[in-house]
Amino acid sequence: MATSSTHVPSAAAASGLRGAIAELWQDKAAAVGLVIILLLILMAVFAPLIAPYDPAAQAITARLKPPVWMARGTWDHLLGTDNLGRDVLSRIIWGARATLTIGAVTCLLAATLGTLVGLWAGFAGGRTDTLLMRIVDIQVSFPGIFLILLVVAMLGPGIWTLVAVLSMTNWMVYARLIRGIVSSTRQTPYVEAAELIGCKPGRVIFRHILPNLVSPLLTLAILEFTNIVLAEAAVSFLGFGVQPPATSWGLDVASGRDYLFIAWWLVTFPGLTIVATVLSINLFANWLRVTADPEERERRFARAEAAKRRRRTRGANA
Amino acid sequence: MTTKLLAQAVGLATIFACTTVAPAWAQSITIAIGSEPSTLDPQLRDDGGERQVNDNIYETLMARTPTGELVPGLAAAVPTQVDATTWQFKLREGVKFHNGEPFNADAVVASVTRVIDPANNSEQMAYYGTIKGAEKVDDLTVNLVTNGPDPILPSRLYWMKMIAPGYSKDGDLAGAPVGTGPYKFESWNRGTDLTLVANSDYWRGEPEIDGVTYRFVTEPGTRLSGLLSGEFDVITNLLPEFTESVPKFAAVRSLETSVFVLGTDNEVTKDPKVRQALNLAIDRQSMVESLFMGYASVAKGSHINPAAVGFNEKLEPYPYDIEKAKALIKEAGAEGKPLVVVGESGRWLKDREQIEAVAGYWAETGLQVTTDIQEFSQYLESLMGDGPRPDSIFIANSNELLDADREMSFIYHKDGAAASNSDAEMAAMIEAARTETDAAKRKSIYDQIQQKGHELSYTVPLFNLQDIYGLSERMEWQPRVDAKMIVSEMKVAE
Repeated sequence: MATSSTHVPSAAAASGLRGAIAELWQDKAAAVGLVIILLLILMAVFAPLIAPYDPAAQAITARLKPPVWMARGTWDHLLGTDNLGRDVLSRIIWGARATLTIGAVTCLLAATLGTLVGLWAGFAGGRTDTLLMRIVDIQVSFPGIFLILLVVAMLGPGIWTLVAVLSMTNWMVYARLIRGIVSSTRQTPYVEAAELIGCKPGRVIFRHILPNLVSPLLTLAILEFTNIVLAEAAVSFLGFGVQPPATSWGLDVASGRDYLFIAWWLVTFPGLTIVATVLSINLFANWLRVTADPEERERRFARAEAAKRRRRTRGANA
Repeated sequence: MTTKLLAQAVGLATIFACTTVAPAWAQSITIAIGSEPSTLDPQLRDDGGERQVNDNIYETLMARTPTGELVPGLAAAVPTQVDATTWQFKLREGVKFHNGEPFNADAVVASVTRVIDPANNSEQMAYYGTIKGAEKVDDLTVNLVTNGPDPILPSRLYWMKMIAPGYSKDGDLAGAPVGTGPYKFESWNRGTDLTLVANSDYWRGEPEIDGVTYRFVTEPGTRLSGLLSGEFDVITNLLPEFTESVPKFAAVRSLETSVFVLGTDNEVTKDPKVRQALNLAIDRQSMVESLFMGYASVAKGSHINPAAVGFNEKLEPYPYDIEKAKALIKEAGAEGKPLVVVGESGRWLKDREQIEAVAGYWAETGLQVTTDIQEFSQYLESLMGDGPRPDSIFIANSNELLDADREMSFIYHKDGAAASNSDAEMAAMIEAARTETDAAKRKSIYDQIQQKGHELSYTVPLFNLQDIYGLSERMEWQPRVDAKMIVSEMKVAE
């Protein structure tokens, strides 16, 4: 997401940081979203300082203790303990590292690869297009779990193996989307004009076509982020990804599932954290999408002005 | 309107009438099992789902009481040994298959011949490897011949289901089984359910429950909510935590023992001191009390099932002594050395939790412990493949034959599929015991092997697990130690 906005010399960036903040403040939900994202990142970075316990420290005799506000809860474990007596809060704080790293890096890698392939296919057209899109088709029809098995057998399980595998199984959707947009954008007069006056393909692609892709890319990347978090959980639970004593939110949800009837806090808190993360990114990205798109910005500005005027007239009438 | 009301009243009255006379009426129960049978052919696969159904349709020459004692089943008496490799079975008279075929020596010969036929490539050959063939003596007498002396042949025959000779040639064994058991096959809607009905001609008398429907439910949570809503009468593999929320439950010592097999030739674990430290570092009693809520017991110093013939009852469980474990690791100069813990997830009761907890205990000894939870097929390769042996690998080992030879051959014998040692002397002892026909001598060899394995810490035995079943309010059933779900032993109270 961050990379896409640096490609776009949008008005927000041009008018400086202060302008951007002011503009963001107009959209309260997006501002809150950004704050939560920043807090989560800080939490992941400073996990050793914040977490009250070692996330792997187990106390078998103190397992499945409920959160502090429930009957058997204690202040020792704010959000209770899990099935091996580990502190749920500490595990959420440490789990942020794996989840955010895998989610963000995978989205970034998959989006970059997919976008490059899509741009190339859509821009070049003809035989190149056919060839690249067939590669995409083959990759889509290849069973993901099989690929995961193959790669894990070669590289061994771990966070970076997981990032590599999930990127490899998720880039195709970007390529298809981008290729579609590029081939239609190529026909627009301003792109044809740019080519006519002798712009090099690189300039045409990155100056004239890419900005049109920012908003669909953002939307897609956010949807995919959720998918990645869930995929990571499933894959880690089977033993392909994050290995104990390290943990991730998804893995905690997956391991706590069996205890849902008697210890809801094992699934609920990491689950809520995932929801909060995805929702915050969504709210912020929605604002970013509008900000990055000149036409949308125009519309938003017009709506804001109209609302202001309505308020003024109502005030005058009263 | 009036007629409708009247009809309803009559309907209600009928329902009341039915409930009051219910005990004399048809009773049918629903059992939720974890996996659908891959086939109903009783001789091909080693498949838990298939057994749970077929154990009620078919019978075997030898059977077990609910507490695990070996007794004659379709055999009229305990077999006699003619010579070292020949066992003679007298058969029960007057037993008929569901399709009317008589059960006799021909049926036994046909069953044995079919299951050991290499063309059928039966997965059950792991149990019958020693059997050479069967010979008919007269209509109700059969001789079973083994390749070498095989003292546990009767236990093996407790596993082999007897099929109807005529039906096995032209019938649909895989889809519509025909046996001699208390229940007859009725229907199988693949993916949904499977129904059996009582066999009114059963030789022991018609069973009490008239019909049973099996439902295939993989998710433990779904099974639990089905039981709570009254949809199921019996569910398998209930977690200990839920024993308080279900209407009724029944727990029984199971066939499974959880254990870590240590690689005695590996860099760190080749030192007996390190292996002993690994055994002393685990607080097994706390794990039993909290993780299993008492529904397991600490393994008594070896991974052999306590119910098995040949179990050494003189061994004591390894004590919990973390200080001594630390000292041993220091003495062995293994502080900070790497130890890999290999395991899987989701296959056995609380497997992942046992692995993570033990890895946690081991990390306290000063070793550098890494955990490697593997996908199941990859795990099987680590456990039984030809690759290098892992430092330590988890398994919940099941002993279906209830004979020590099973766990010994599998884990202690150096050529065993899951063995991680190269102790030729121990292997020779296991082979000697396998063919020893004198029960007392055989037992003493097994005692020695377990003593040695215990002293040298070839394995880290953890727990003798229990099977817990969730039952509906009306069910009355004491589960069996061999984990078979025999419906004719269940009762419905109403």
